[in-house]
Amino acid sequence: MSLPDRIDPPPPRRIYRWDLDKTYLQTEFDSFRDLLRTAFQKAHEKQAVPGASALIRELASAGDSRLCIVSGSPRQLRSVLEEKLKLDGVVWDEFVLKDNVGNLMRGRFRALRGQVGYKLPAILESRALAPVEAEEVLFGDDAEADAFIYSLYADMIAGRVDERVLGQILEQAAVYPDEAQRVLTAWKKIPVSDPVRRIFIHLDRLTPPAHFADYGPRVVPIFNYFQAALVLLADGHLTAPQVIKIAVEMVQTAGHNIITLSNSFQDLLRRGLPLQQAAAALVQALEGPNALLQALRPMPDILSAFTKRLAALGTQPPPPTVRAVDYLGLLHHALPRTHKGRKVAPPT
Amino acid sequence: MAHKPVTIAFDVMGSDHGPAEIVRGAAQLSLESPHIHALLVGDRAVIDDALAQARHSGERISVQHASTFIAMDEKPGEALAKKPDASVSVAARLVAEGEADALVSAGHTGACVLACARHFQLLPGVRRAALAAVYPTRIRRGEKEDPFSLILDVGATVEATADDLVTFAVMGAAYARIISRNEQPKVALLSNGTEPTKGPRHVVEAHARLGGLPGMRFIGNVEGVDIPKGTADVVVTDGYVGNVCLKMLEGVHETVVELAQYAHKESLRWRAGLAMLSGGIQRIKDITDWEQYGGAPVLGFDRIFIKAHGRSQARAIANAGKVAAKAAANELGKTIQQGLAR
Repeated sequence: MSLPDRIDPPPPRRIYRWDLDKTYLQTEFDSFRDLLRTAFQKAHEKQAVPGASALIRELASAGDSRLCIVSGSPRQLRSVLEEKLKLDGVVWDEFVLKDNVGNLMRGRFRALRGQVGYKLPAILESRALAPVEAEEVLFGDDAEADAFIYSLYADMIAGRVDERVLGQILEQAAVYPDEAQRVLTAWKKIPVSDPVRRIFIHLDRLTPPAHFADYGPRVVPIFNYFQAALVLLADGHLTAPQVIKIAVEMVQTAGHNIITLSNSFQDLLRRGLPLQQAAAALVQALEGPNALLQALRPMPDILSAFTKRLAALGTQPPPPTVRAVDYLGLLHHALPRTHKGRKVAPPT
Repeated sequence: MAHKPVTIAFDVMGSDHGPAEIVRGAAQLSLESPHIHALLVGDRAVIDDALAQARHSGERISVQHASTFIAMDEKPGEALAKKPDASVSVAARLVAEGEADALVSAGHTGACVLACARHFQLLPGVRRAALAAVYPTRIRRGEKEDPFSLILDVGATVEATADDLVTFAVMGAAYARIISRNEQPKVALLSNGTEPTKGPRHVVEAHARLGGLPGMRFIGNVEGVDIPKGTADVVVTDGYVGNVCLKMLEGVHETVVELAQYAHKESLRWRAGLAMLSGGIQRIKDITDWEQYGGAPVLGFDRIFIKAHGRSQARAIANAGKVAAKAAANELGKTIQQGLAR
């Protein structure tokens, strides 16, 4: 970055919004014991989801994007979380944490578990300050209401959500009046545009992918960040060598191998994502002379594994259909996971 | 302990409960056993629909499309010739080509065995493959305390020779060593008396040869009454007798259940008695729960094939996958070959 750019940086072309727990960090908070352990973990003890930091670094490498993190973790963990991000070489532009102590002191117990009243105003307020032409890609997980909140956010700024419907959603999601007011105020400041390209949902709980079908093809459930990288390659956010770098990190640090990577690739193909060109670009990149690729050798195995998984499917499945999201019908997704009104996936 | 990664090909079509149940079993396996990869062979659209609804790990499952399958009422030879792209054929081919380490199928037994025979090789020294079956017994055995014994053959070779019976004994013992972790399984021949001279000529001849086989814990002949007692860990017989025994065991189990139901309806006193015995009845039910064992192997090929029951549901399929993975990881074929070489 040149000196003028540092003084007066150019507006971001792309914004990447990330949740932290279970999206970037492998966090367990299912029990009180897990919560306590998470609260007292040091930065170096925290584990990132394989490939997440590599993906963030690659997305940032063009220098024309912003990384905005909105996490449900309490503000008291800021220093340890920031230290962890620095250890991983992640540079962020915004980092919002939840005021859980404040909520507790004010007796706002619903706000402790509720996500809609916290995340929706936070990302809308952030968007209100962004250039209208900046594209967005959002990353969340299946533990809470990320698919619901991110999709609602995307459709609100694209002018596809009615104010009356929004009012019903906020009321039924038990959002406090001041939070609802923040949502409306920020929303009104945002010029209508359609910038959200993808919403990735990391399947930390291995929720069946069909659970997210009602959100349409914009929402892509992923089992790992190699899958996100493949989709972002197809969408033009990453190049093939960058995707290979992410795969290399996953192979070297998280025990991924050619079978898990090629299965992940085929899983997306089966869900109708148009990745043939991305696969061709990857094959071309793998054939080039790059020392980094030694980690993924032997090359013929990699190429044949991808080619076999592609050929195994016969004809390519059709892409998933685009549809309007019925937010009122999906309101149970907006409730905290432990809420009795939240429908859970049937046991398998 | 780190496990060697293993890929199991599942023939998804042809089960009594439909493809979704096999897919659910493989999905369950992908969550329970990180070292096992499932290769689902069948109609891709059907598999995708079922997978999308099931909790699974997408990193450990792949799909191979097969346009057709062999139905239960088809003649295996004709059907396999007419349908080269049937799921069981495609799956067996993938195992033969090394794309997967073992095959699991709940489909048509005859078609499965024939598909294996066409794509796999018989081990050196094995003239005929044997279909083994596990059956519940009173006693437990091996490191895993399995409440099951193995009986073979139960239908693949109707008329076995003495050579075949000796081969079956070696293969059964190798399987028990690997799957039940029973280092010295007790092997017996099924006959109409315990004396070495009892039984038809091929049984008498096999008895004489097994007695001198090194590394084999041969306990001689057992009678039908010894089967449910679990006197032997591996019972060796020909396919005709084995099949009759197996069906009779299944019939006894079903009759006992029916009698219990009859008793429950008949009088209050009997009902009270049954209630008092409920703990014991549950225990019997647990022991006879074939779903926990998953499937039975076809022994004698250079590749592993586990035949799951046609009525298998997700749990049984997942367990069949685990059995197949264990057999593959422990190189069952090589162990059998070593036994035959002695």
